Amino acid sequence: MTAGPSWALAREDAAYPAGLHDLDDAPPALFGAGSPNAVAGLEPSACVTIVGARRATPYGRGVAEELARDLAAAGLVVVSGMAYGIDSAAHRGAIAANGTTVAVLAGGPDVAYPPSARRLHREILSSGGAAVAEVEPGTTPVRWGFPARNRLMAALAAVTVVVEAAERSGTRHTADAAERLHRTVAVVPGPVTSPLSAGPNALLFDGAAPVRDAQDVLDLTLGVGVVSVRSLGPALEPDLAAALAALADGAATCDAVTARLGAAADRVAVALARLELLGYARADGAGRYARTGLRAPGEG
Amino acid sequence: MLALARTFALHGVEAREVRVEVDVRAGIPSFTVVGLPDAAVRESRERVRAAISNSGFEFPMRRVTVSLAPADLPKAGPGYDLAIAGGVLAASGQLPDELLAGLALAGELALDGTVRPIHGALAMAERARRSAIGRVAVPAANAPEAALVNLSEANGSGPAAGVVVLGLRALAELGAIAAGGGPAPESAPALPPADAVPAGLPDLEDLRGQPFLRWALEVAAAGGHSLLMLGPPGAGKSMAGLRLQSLLPALEANEAIEAMRIAGVYGRASAQASRARPFRAPHHTISAAGLVGGGSPPRAGEVTLAHRGVLFLDELGEFSRDALEALRQPLEDGRVRISRARGSVDLPCRFMLVAAANPCPCGRGAGEGDCECSPAAVRRYRSRLSGALADRVDLSVGVEQPAADALAGPPGESSAAVRQRVVQARRRQASRLGRGRCNGELGTAELRRTVSLEPGARSALVAGHARLGLSARGHDRVLRVARTVADLDGSESVSAEHVARALALRRREQR
Repeated sequence: MTAGPSWALAREDAAYPAGLHDLDDAPPALFGAGSPNAVAGLEPSACVTIVGARRATPYGRGVAEELARDLAAAGLVVVSGMAYGIDSAAHRGAIAANGTTVAVLAGGPDVAYPPSARRLHREILSSGGAAVAEVEPGTTPVRWGFPARNRLMAALAAVTVVVEAAERSGTRHTADAAERLHRTVAVVPGPVTSPLSAGPNALLFDGAAPVRDAQDVLDLTLGVGVVSVRSLGPALEPDLAAALAALADGAATCDAVTARLGAAADRVAVALARLELLGYARADGAGRYARTGLRAPGEG
Repeated sequence: MLALARTFALHGVEAREVRVEVDVRAGIPSFTVVGLPDAAVRESRERVRAAISNSGFEFPMRRVTVSLAPADLPKAGPGYDLAIAGGVLAASGQLPDELLAGLALAGELALDGTVRPIHGALAMAERARRSAIGRVAVPAANAPEAALVNLSEANGSGPAAGVVVLGLRALAELGAIAAGGGPAPESAPALPPADAVPAGLPDLEDLRGQPFLRWALEVAAAGGHSLLMLGPPGAGKSMAGLRLQSLLPALEANEAIEAMRIAGVYGRASAQASRARPFRAPHHTISAAGLVGGGSPPRAGEVTLAHRGVLFLDELGEFSRDALEALRQPLEDGRVRISRARGSVDLPCRFMLVAAANPCPCGRGAGEGDCECSPAAVRRYRSRLSGALADRVDLSVGVEQPAADALAGPPGESSAAVRQRVVQARRRQASRLGRGRCNGELGTAELRRTVSLEPGARSALVAGHARLGLSARGHDRVLRVARTVADLDGSESVSAEHVARALALRRREQR
């Protein structure tokens, strides 16, 4: 399928996303591909921007995907930049929840960048989402287009969630832009030992709001208790609960969990596969299992 | 005077009959070989001339013409020496004509008349049997290999009578054979019993503290499933791959003969008859032609040498893209066809693929804190892993360095114990699918026909679709593995438990 016809919203249009008016240098026109409804009249409180490192860890990608999924399911439009890593995970999460997601691009809205994101670009457009940019369709992105694009992402949403970022990075730039616009910057904390946590943890230290799950973002966006998405998974049999507890310290292979539990390898493999089926755990390509945000009944 | 000797040319992994016509007549002394000989065959003239003179015969000082028929089949290598010498001796009246009727000859001659070993003796003996040639004379060093031809008959795979295999040490022995003496017929070497673990293989007990990996190896061996191991350097991937061979069931007699015939064609026949499955571990710099076969005349590649055994690709991500793409057809069809202007050869290659790879180019694990790879580099690397092979890899397992106390702990279960369970599981598969077949080769249609699911298993698979985004091919892979897990369990139907185990072993999409 092709990107479909492109469209544009002038700054004077009523449908021009409200958040962009807060920019001193709001683009005179916003070019788009995909569904215009995804951005038409978009209020900052109706969407959330999720950004982060391209070279993200499985933890970061997992959290971003899950946040996006839950927030999209709660009705928010998920805005991100279609880069590798966190951005892609956020778009995918929103699509998985049949939600709406908007990619803000540095090149033309019909130009998939990076080129390997072509498939994601197509999926965003065909799922009722949109790609938008302040440059005309067909424009290939230039280096200085990215910081400019970051200010659009920051302006669109009331809350910008930073998942993983190096101390100095494009993501930090987006967070700074959000702060200048008096938007809320929220961060997902990470281990202090990881260089990819340096960005979020520094923001946290400076007073950004910590985010543990989608509920925290919803509370920041809409006010505490307006919408609730926190849910509990099904109850767990003892061996499943034990396997889940063994994942508490972070991702682990089946062998590591087996060693931790001292049970038979095939029993543990079954337990982990079941946890995956129930949505409690997720495995990456190399077979390392990690917990998702889903809580079991009786857990904290 | 005219004489006719018979010998063989190798074509792919088979032998074809070649007739050596020798004409000796009055004229200026000369020695000509016609019939598409290559350099080694043309040089045969010098070896034959010297060997005849040095064996107590006399090289005829007349006009000698040798024609190798069929004339359009290219002939390569020194294996024609013996037949040419035999023909010259018969045509010059030094050996009786009757000797060459019903006797095929193959061997290289040294200048002193010694017969040197050749490649493909078993393939030649099999051809001799099919062409109803009663006796073959081969170099003494190749005689045990050639004599295996009579073993396959014991298993009822051949209609014709046996072939008498004579092992020659020297050209002079042809005279003794003509006189009714000569070397005694070689008897077929016995195959070792099927239930013995082949000696000299690295044992699984060396693998300590990696129970999941051990279990994955067991399932892979039991069902003939291809296996991908992912993990950082030093985690024990190569060690595990090298130990898979010791878990595999012995070859059936006819399979063993096929494997030994292929090995023999490439000069790799072992001194003893063996039932061990072939194990090939080519280095990652191998070319596509080296891996699947190629060249002119066409030569088999590693996939054919691994026929009925294991092809182990260590450092999968380092293999060239061409080489990995070329694996696609062999994996799919179990055969490679190499087409050349002079016709094509079909080579068998039903092998089990076992691969090991780092999770990213630097090996430290993409996305882990100390990985230095750029996202684009990781992507390129992963696309190489997933491209051609993804659809054919049933099992994947993440491997990590075992904990220090596990390394210091007791050795794991031995290969012999695991192999026993594997053999049991294979036996169940053979009774369901037919002799020598295993779950790893099941296609979609056959899979649906032969796998009976319990109701719980069906719903587990449906949950897999919904929750894990299992594709149609992914579904088939899980089903194949679940069938094997059930076979290991001794169960005729596949339960939810078996499906869950298969899901834990499934290949995960990387992105």
